[in-house]
Amino acid sequence: MYNVAVIVGSLRKDSINREFARALAKLAGPGLKLDLVNIDALPIYNQDFDADMPAEARRLKAEIEAADAVLLITPEHNRSFSTALKNAIDWASRPYGKSSWAGKPVAIAGASGGNVGTAVAQQHLRTVLGHLDAAILGQPEVFFTFKPGLVDKDSNITDESTREFLRGFLNRLSGWIDLISRDRQPQAAAA
Amino acid sequence: MAKVAVIVGSIRKDSLNKKLAGALEKLAAGRLQFERVRIDDLPLFNQDDESNPTPEVGRLKKQIRDADAILFVTPEHNRSIPAAMKNAIDWATRPSAQSAFKGKWAAAIIGTSRGRISTAVAQQHLRTILSGHFTALLGSPEAYVQFQDGLIDDQGNVSDEKTQKFLQGFIDSFAALVGAAKPKNNT
Repeated sequence: MYNVAVIVGSLRKDSINREFARALAKLAGPGLKLDLVNIDALPIYNQDFDADMPAEARRLKAEIEAADAVLLITPEHNRSFSTALKNAIDWASRPYGKSSWAGKPVAIAGASGGNVGTAVAQQHLRTVLGHLDAAILGQPEVFFTFKPGLVDKDSNITDESTREFLRGFLNRLSGWIDLISRDRQPQAAAA
Repeated sequence: MAKVAVIVGSIRKDSLNKKLAGALEKLAAGRLQFERVRIDDLPLFNQDDESNPTPEVGRLKKQIRDADAILFVTPEHNRSIPAAMKNAIDWATRPSAQSAFKGKWAAAIIGTSRGRISTAVAQQHLRTILSGHFTALLGSPEAYVQFQDGLIDDQGNVSDEKTQKFLQGFIDSFAALVGAAKPKNNT
């Protein structure tokens, strides 16, 4: 079983992206365990603290490093991904030489109420993760238009075709982790 | 004299971009009045608080509203803008009906770093983010300033003549845009 650290880019209480993340966690089969990572208590990134990182940033790094993969679920704010997500990514990328992202399998998804479905935000995110040398899952792209009732209060996805699409996404993520961990850790994969 | 709110995306003490902003302020003296906007004490953006923000957010929005134009001075962090810069923009633009950028026409982007990319990629992200908010976003010159030790001192003096001329040209273009873009009936 793979452990996936899920970072939701929205801090608001009734975030549709958190709802979406919970639905994905529920949809995931026994091979994939999705756990939400808390990012709302991080201070704003400041390079002056690289040498003596705040406890919250150290915890975030540890959670990312312990996971087999990271799933980033972002809203789109002003045609880019959220401040909270950029903040988490920047903290985890530091200090220099000790980034938590290098080689880490990462998948991206996002939900919004509009038709763009976070497509523009996700392109910015890909630029950043590419620079950080994360192993980014290319397809499927998940530009999710969130309509009321699509996820019920028990985190079930109510529409069958959406469920199938997202199941496919999670399967691809699982296969991607297989591939990357085989490539990077031959002994572990053989065991 | 037109007022320019200056947002520097780095919150570290010895920020190169703060030095760059200082140099630009000096070059603009007499034509554009620079007002530095403080962003290091803002909370992380949370939409739940947008209608009832902290006093620091209120101060940010007021400083922006009081200005005729905005200058964004950005470092590049991981091939995008810093969290601190995105945070200031997200707060300033929310809630959308009360965006502090509403009614603003002109803005410009500049940035410096030590590497050869010199914030070029971060600035493209920033253009995308700002394009929905400003009618007149200075297109040319693009200003990707490569910082070298001693290039700009803490008093805003530029040691290299070529860089000084380039920055002067940037300010000339920005001042012309601010003048041109400001509607005549908008006092």
